[in-house]
Formats: sequence, C-alpha cells, structure tokens
Amino acid sequence: MNKNSILTIAVKDMKAVFSSKKVWVPMIIVALIICILVPSCIAFFGLQFDLIGTSTQEIEKPINAFIKEFPNEEMRNTLAALPTLSYKFVYFFLTLMMIPFFLMVAIINSMVTSSNSFVGEKERNTLETLLFAPLSIKDLFLGKVLASLIPTLGISFAAFIISFIVVNVITYPHFKVILFFNTTWMILMFWVIPILVLFNIILNVFISAKVKTFQEAQQFGGLLVLPIVGIIISQASGMFFLSPLTLFIIGAALLLGNFFLIKLVTKFSNRNTLFQSQIH
Amino acid sequence: MTNIIEVNKVSKQFNHREILKEVSFTIKEGTINGLLGPNGAGKTTIIRLLNGVIEAANGTMKVMDFDPQLYGDEIRKRVGIVTESASLYHDMTAWDNLVFFSKIYGRHDKKRITHLLEQFDMLSFKDQLVGSFSTGMKKRISLAKALLHNPRILFLDEPTNGLDPEGINEVIRYLHKVNQEEGVTILICSHVLHQLETICDSYLFLNEGSIVEKGTKKELEDKYLKKVVLDIETGLSPLNNQNYKGYTYRRKKSNQLEFILSSKDEITPLLAHILSESWIHNCEITNRSLEALYFHIRGGKEVE
Repeated sequence: MNKNSILTIAVKDMKAVFSSKKVWVPMIIVALIICILVPSCIAFFGLQFDLIGTSTQEIEKPINAFIKEFPNEEMRNTLAALPTLSYKFVYFFLTLMMIPFFLMVAIINSMVTSSNSFVGEKERNTLETLLFAPLSIKDLFLGKVLASLIPTLGISFAAFIISFIVVNVITYPHFKVILFFNTTWMILMFWVIPILVLFNIILNVFISAKVKTFQEAQQFGGLLVLPIVGIIISQASGMFFLSPLTLFIIGAALLLGNFFLIKLVTKFSNRNTLFQSQIH
Repeated sequence: MTNIIEVNKVSKQFNHREILKEVSFTIKEGTINGLLGPNGAGKTTIIRLLNGVIEAANGTMKVMDFDPQLYGDEIRKRVGIVTESASLYHDMTAWDNLVFFSKIYGRHDKKRITHLLEQFDMLSFKDQLVGSFSTGMKKRISLAKALLHNPRILFLDEPTNGLDPEGINEVIRYLHKVNQEEGVTILICSHVLHQLETICDSYLFLNEGSIVEKGTKKELEDKYLKKVVLDIETGLSPLNNQNYKGYTYRRKKSNQLEFILSSKDEITPLLAHILSESWIHNCEITNRSLEALYFHIRGGKEVE
C-alpha cells in the first residue's frame, strides 16, 4: 500500500468534484434542503404558527390512536405528554423521520462521486494511463473510495451540525430537551452513516469498474436508495422502529458487508481483468 | 549493445480470437525501433504485454530482465508510455497534469517538469487547461508525462495520429532528441511508415499476429531489394528510347528518366556517363522506401 499514491488519486478526484459547480452545488443543495431546511421549517412553522391547529379534530383521533399504538414506550409517553398536535407532530418528525432523510442524503451524495470514479476515468481515456502506471489496483481503489468518502461524510457531518444548532435554537424553548442529542442519533451519525457511506462507495466504485458507461453505473447505484425508502415507510408507520440497538446491528451488518465487498473487489479486480474489460 | 527487451514465442488470445501467434523478437538498449503493421495486427497488444497490464497465454518475456507478468510494477516504474489517445485530464492545467503523474510515479520533481516543458516548447502554456490544447500540444504534454521519471524505455502507440505534418515532424524531432540526449530505448508502433523512416534503427513487421520480418533498413534492403529503380532529373536525351549505355530506362517526364539497375553498384558508373554528357539535378532510389519494403514483405515478394 502506497499512501502517497492513494492520497494523490484522492486529492485529484476531490479537486475535480469541487472544481465543477455542476457536481458539488447539487450535493450541497440536497443536504441543505433535506437535512437543514426541511427540519428547520417544520420546527419553526409547526411550533410558531401551530399549523396543524386544534380545529382539525378529525385528524387528531387517528394520530392519537397511532401514538397509543406506537411500539417504543419512551417515545409513546413523550408524545402523549406534549400539549398540542403540532408539538406532537414536530417532535415525532424531528426525532424519528429525520433519520432516513440523513441516510438518504449520505447515500445520494456518495453515489454521485463514487459511481463516476472508474467510469469517469474510462470516459476521459485516462484509466489506460493509470493502469500503465506503477500504481497497484488496490491503491487505485482506495484512492477512489477516499475521494468519495471525505466529501460525502464532510457534507453529512456539516449538515448535521448546522441542523442540530438551528433546530435546537427553534425547538428548545418549547420542548426543553436537546433534539438530535441522544444515543440513537449518535449511533446514526458516527456509526451507521460512515459505514453505510463506505459500503455504498465501495459497491459503487466496484460497479463503476465493471460497467461500461456512467449511465449504467448510475442505474445500478440508484438501486441502493430503495432500502432507505423502506426505512422511511417503516419509521412513519412505526412498523419497524429504529432503536439504538437496531441501528447498531444495521451498522455492524454493513461493516461485515464492507469486508465481504473488499474481498470481492480484490478477487475480481486485477489489472488484467480491469484492462481487458474496460480498455479497447 | 545488450538486449533490453526479449520476447520468446509469446501468444495471446482474446475472446477466443488469436491476437498474437508465437511472437519472438529482441530490442537492443539505446535503439529506436519501429513496430509496423496494419490496424489490428497486434501492435498495441505487444506494448500492453510488455508493460504487464495484460497477461500472455504462452511464451516468455523479459523487459530489463523483469518478467512483465510477475514484476509489472518494477517495469512500469522504469518505462514511459504514450498511448494513442493522449490520456490527460482535460479539466486540469498542463502543469497540474504533470505534477499529478509525477506523484503517481513517485518522482515529484518540479525542476524536471519545468525542464521537460521547456524541451517540448510548452512552458508558456503550463497554466492553461489541457482541454484547450491542439492535438499536437496534447501529444507534447503526453510525451513530457511519459518522460517525467527518466524512463529507460519509451513505448509509443501511434504517436503521430491526428497530427498535421508540422506536428509529426516535431514529434519525430523530439523523439530523436530524447534518444540521443537521454539514451532512452524507444519502441514506436505505427502504421504510417514514411514517418518512421528517418528515425528508426530497426524494424519489426507484424501481420495478423505474427512477426513476418525484422531487421535494420540495410538488412531489409539487402534481402528484398533485388532491382534498383533510380529516378534521375537530367537533361540527357539518349538516342535509343529504352536503353542507355546498356542500362534500361523509361522517360517519365521531359527531364526525368527512370533507370532499372541490377544493383546499387551500377549507380556511380551510370551517373558518371550521364554527367559526361549532360547535367543532373536530382537522383533518387524510389523502390527502397520503408513503405515499398513493407508492402513487399507483406506480399512476400521481392522489391522490383
């Protein structure tokens, strides 16, 4: 393993990402809207203007019934104790529904950079030169993974910190608790998301090294958003609650998946096969 | 001179198609060699095999005493390559491209980059994006990239593709300079033969995956040039319109005669005869160009 080569590849790729506004601006916008604007607006308008209101009694019944049936006792009691329906909705949304949103942003952003990694080099005719260089395929893969991992995690963490500050400034006077500051969120941000992003990146880089065009890479990579949609549905319905333990297990399973993927990458990506499948 | 490359009975298949069939040749250190053949003959495959980026089915290879299949990285550290497409990052400047590749080769040296940019007359363009360069400028940066780490061997795959005549002459001049000044052994793949004629020490002729002939121009001429066709621009007007002093000729233009001689030894006496009677402004053997030799080698005929 040659650290200098890995860093050189990673720095070159990251510069390419941040020198093209068409790439980094959408990445930032996605994070800004989903992780910062959406929760801030829901918190602000939900609490300040009582948008759901008390007059809408016809929807209050089913919501209260939902809260009664909610599988997690702590959440059930907290929600039941909140004074208005708006408070209940805002609290429920910020505490539970934001989790899949953060996961989704991490997935989308990591996909943007990683699916382009090898196919991008191929489409620019530079993969051939890299394969002709005294650079091991492992170092090339690691450089590509690092180039996607750093900006994705950077954006996710920055969005989390900004969201944490803004949302809590709005909600603390009402709830008297600091939101996003519990075991679930800490496990999510610092265990699940880094491992999930790494898993997604390794998988996308691997797919990118196997497919012929950027479009194909995006198609395959897009499939990875599906489990997140599943999580949103399960969270909203309370069907499958993301407790700290569940999140920890998801992270551990993904970590195992990472080891499996790395094995697969090293097995199927030697210079000869990469060259014969990608260079003509 | 020692052999820097040795290839012995190397074969390569791809998708059940035989690309190379028991290819054998050697290349001497410090020489410039042309690997010639039509498109699809297997020239690029040979370069890839010698760099260890693809694997051979059979046979043995030695590049600077390393087996490319086992010690590819050791070879790649010591050789430079210019592929058919310039293979540079268009969204980066010339300087950034060279810095990136010098780091990849583990030989980051700003003085060397500046020196190469100077050598290839590109120093004033160093801060411009490669994407804005002409094909010739990209080729020059690509050559500079290939020489960043002071390689012992330089592989060039169709280095003059897409270049105008001026660009071709420049590349040929640079290659000659690199060979003379840095002692780099050069292997050039090309199907445009007349460009290589002035620069190569020896040639390998590849056809349908097999080496059909190899040698220096002199060796190839001695083997294939059985008759000499000599074009002379002269004011001579022999009385016999087919024969002059025992030499067969035909008139091509008013002041241009084409003589058919049995050997080069006949040239001097013929010219002496003509000069005693008239003027000579030009004299050229027309059937010994690399292209003429190439077509006859491929066709298996002697050059007439």
